[in-house]
Amino acid sequence: MTQFRKGLWRSALAAAAVAGFVTSAAAQMELKIMAPAAPGGGWDQTARSMQQALTQAGIAKSVQVTNVPGAGGSIGIAQLVNNSKGDGNQLMVMGYVMVGALLTNKSPITLDQTTPIARLTAEYEAIVVPADSPIKTAKELADALKADPAKVTWAGGSAGGVDHIAAALFAKAAGADPTKINYIPFSGGGEALAAILGGKVTAGISGYGEFESQIKAGKLRLLGLTTPANQGTADKPSIQAQGIDIDIANWRAVVAPPGISADQKKALVDAMDEMAKSAEWQAILKQKGWEDSYVSGDAFAKILQQEQARTKEILASVGLVKS
Amino acid sequence: MEAFVSLANGLAVAIQPANLLFALIGVLLGTAVGVLPGIGPALTVALLLPITFKLDPAGSIIMFAGIYYGGMYGGSTTAILINTPGESASMATALEGNLMAKAGRGGPALATSAIGSFVAGTIATLGLTLLAPYLVEIAVSFGPEDYFALMVVAFVTVSATFGDSPVRGLTSLFIGLLLGLVGIDILSGQSRLSFGVPELYDNIEVTTLAVGLFAVGEALYVASRRHVHEEKLEAVRGSLWMTKEDWKRSWKPWLRGTMFGFPIGALPAGGAEIPTFLSYATERRLTKHPEDFGKGAIEGVAGPEAANNASAAGTLVPLLTLGLPTSATAAMLLAGFQQYGLNPGPLLFADQPNLVWGLIASLFIANAMLLVLNLPLVGLWVRLLAIPQPWLYAGILVFATMGTIAANPSPVELIMLTVFGVLGFLMRRFDFPIAPVVVGLILGPIAESQLRRALSISLGDPMTLLQSPISATLLAIALIALVLPFFLNGMGRFKAVED
Amino acid sequence: MASSPQRRIDVAGLVIALILLVLAGIVWWDMTKLQILSPYDLGPKVMPVIVSGGLTLLAIGNAIGALRGTLPDRDSLDWKPIILILGGLACLIALIAFGGGFMIGTALLFAATSTAFGRRAFVTDFIIGAVIAVFIYLLFAKLLTLSLPAGPLENLF
Repeated sequence: MTQFRKGLWRSALAAAAVAGFVTSAAAQMELKIMAPAAPGGGWDQTARSMQQALTQAGIAKSVQVTNVPGAGGSIGIAQLVNNSKGDGNQLMVMGYVMVGALLTNKSPITLDQTTPIARLTAEYEAIVVPADSPIKTAKELADALKADPAKVTWAGGSAGGVDHIAAALFAKAAGADPTKINYIPFSGGGEALAAILGGKVTAGISGYGEFESQIKAGKLRLLGLTTPANQGTADKPSIQAQGIDIDIANWRAVVAPPGISADQKKALVDAMDEMAKSAEWQAILKQKGWEDSYVSGDAFAKILQQEQARTKEILASVGLVKS
Repeated sequence: MEAFVSLANGLAVAIQPANLLFALIGVLLGTAVGVLPGIGPALTVALLLPITFKLDPAGSIIMFAGIYYGGMYGGSTTAILINTPGESASMATALEGNLMAKAGRGGPALATSAIGSFVAGTIATLGLTLLAPYLVEIAVSFGPEDYFALMVVAFVTVSATFGDSPVRGLTSLFIGLLLGLVGIDILSGQSRLSFGVPELYDNIEVTTLAVGLFAVGEALYVASRRHVHEEKLEAVRGSLWMTKEDWKRSWKPWLRGTMFGFPIGALPAGGAEIPTFLSYATERRLTKHPEDFGKGAIEGVAGPEAANNASAAGTLVPLLTLGLPTSATAAMLLAGFQQYGLNPGPLLFADQPNLVWGLIASLFIANAMLLVLNLPLVGLWVRLLAIPQPWLYAGILVFATMGTIAANPSPVELIMLTVFGVLGFLMRRFDFPIAPVVVGLILGPIAESQLRRALSISLGDPMTLLQSPISATLLAIALIALVLPFFLNGMGRFKAVED
Repeated sequence: MASSPQRRIDVAGLVIALILLVLAGIVWWDMTKLQILSPYDLGPKVMPVIVSGGLTLLAIGNAIGALRGTLPDRDSLDWKPIILILGGLACLIALIAFGGGFMIGTALLFAATSTAFGRRAFVTDFIIGAVIAVFIYLLFAKLLTLSLPAGPLENLF
């Protein structure tokens, strides 16, 4: 039985090799991707989508996805740093949320201990108000905030998460005191959305996807997205272009364990570069509605550094981290 | 009437052979994963998403709905037979259901649960068809203060699970509240009672606690008393089927359970646990056979099971009309819609009537299928209890640990399961009721966070609790529920004296 | 319940009361380390204070019950099966923590539990447990592509 199976494998491989599209060394890769979250969440979906793209495009021979859930990724990264040191076939999906979670959880392990590989996708934050709200523009929200930050209630995700950080950044950019924002964390996207639709809060802040169908149905008014000023469009205006200087995105990326050789790192970066260009990956991005924000290698390492520094500063300003 | 025409069209979609097949696969898969604690419909749908991408949207969404309903059925089967609730919503079912099974009445317990689920699921799906647009208005107008008031009602009514000693019942409840504190406080982002263990940051998983207390705790307890108290399990005593008396005692709880489950399930933060416990408490209070509670009362199975299934249909109200996922499974269904570029929400009914009504129609079909599948299986399921005791309990422990490992392969999670098992053992030995611990863990954190949200929004003004009409009404109900038993008890005592 | 004059003080009941008091203390101590961050939030301390206070009162209530001897009677206890079952669970936990895989652990747990319930066929039960574990492994890992804690045995598949 096993003999037969092995034979089948070989002939399949041979067939793939004959097909010719397979690129030399990378095709021998047997990757392991860890999603530091339970199955079903965003990081898990990213890992499983990568698995799909990498194998279908023939970039890797096999890809195994494992889940290590817990504490905003703190447990997963601890496992990556401690148990996978020097393993050139191991990757871990992570994202901006982990930057904040590691800080607020006072994790002894930091992202500096990992080997950054590539940023894959990004989702911009959207600020919305109920359709019947007197607030029409981001500027008016900023003015209300400046007048009395207590009266502007925000609904978004958990404390210290990207929504909370974005709200604090908005207040800061608006000239209000970010420590005085009345931010109310909700557990799931649905719960926060219900509070906004029901007019319980002044404004809502979350990834654009959470609000999209409500905005299209006219139940919510989109004040703007946290996109850079030059990327705004008529139906997705940039907040920065409205004079409030805020630029933040909830990105997802992959990192490798510490202690891998330069060659191993290069192989992983090359594999990611190839995946990002593949038709399979592009199709997945389109299907899931994920925005491509691919940056790899040292450029991504630099972004990761900047994001860590900025997040630490803003979390300190809302009191979640002692600076 | 328009709704019925649309529904008829939907039915035409749903009874296409391919879609019937998808519904069948869905309910079978759902039942299988529902049986395992820790692994639920949400996880299954998540794992199947990449596979089903190539299927036709209607078919795979119909299959997901089947998984959802099937999971609810499967979870209660294990709750009744081996006291291992497969889903947190089956916990209330385990209370009386397992006692019935031990008394040889597992057959009627499974039957009332299957039929009750069918009745509730059907009524609730009908409610979804007709009332969704109105219900969702109310659901969205539910603010944090109203949820807090609902929690107060829940706290007051669940005192029915306290047993005879208020001190011991409250002790159990406070243990549950204490466990509810463990983990990161969602409103401030700080960790409480976690002692630097990152695995504790994510709060204690309700199923881990329930399976530890119920299944592991019981295995330990029974094992420790074998030498003095040989437990004889009789798989079937009396009729395998529901007697006329059973029917008479079941139908009202089914309907009342539906009344709890559907509207609360439709609330964005309602969930399935609260209506099941409310239903249990209500049946316990209204029953004409109070002496049966604690020994296996059929009302205590019929009500919560109906509530459980009705809430599953209720969850679809905000999902389909607003695109609001209010449970983990609903979130996965939403992801399922989105992978086909469909956005549930106000526009979905207009844009994709065939799909939506096909889904709703297939819910009816999934329900009927589950009934047809489950009733004949009752006899087979009950045979499980005839497995020799050593193997039965060994199997229960393997089930309990496997479910935990599959959901979270961490030794810490298993250590927690073991600790809860020991806790469950000690509580049984010293006669502390078990259910209030779970109730405390579920309700405590919700009550706390909703109150704090309400007060944040009102800038600290507690009057917000009375200014909202919903909240004021609910608080009044809670007050009545709190005071009324004293009057009734007082009268009951007079009667007893007269006798 | 008729009260009998010969009721003795229940030591176990007093221990329970003491444990509750200790728990109340831990909750209180943990609470003192929290900060109130948002000026509008009631803060994370209120609930621990309520729980700690409630537990203290209940400790007193349980102590009174123990002194009055109102705890229900208990059967004598056989420790051996409890140690067997907990030992089986401990083996499973250790095997998963140290990379031994869950299959051996599950088989051990199955055999230990069934021994605790009076069977005297450890090897047979171990094999039965192993078969169940393989079945579950195939179901989870192959059908649902979930990764279960693997050890040497799992890697054979």
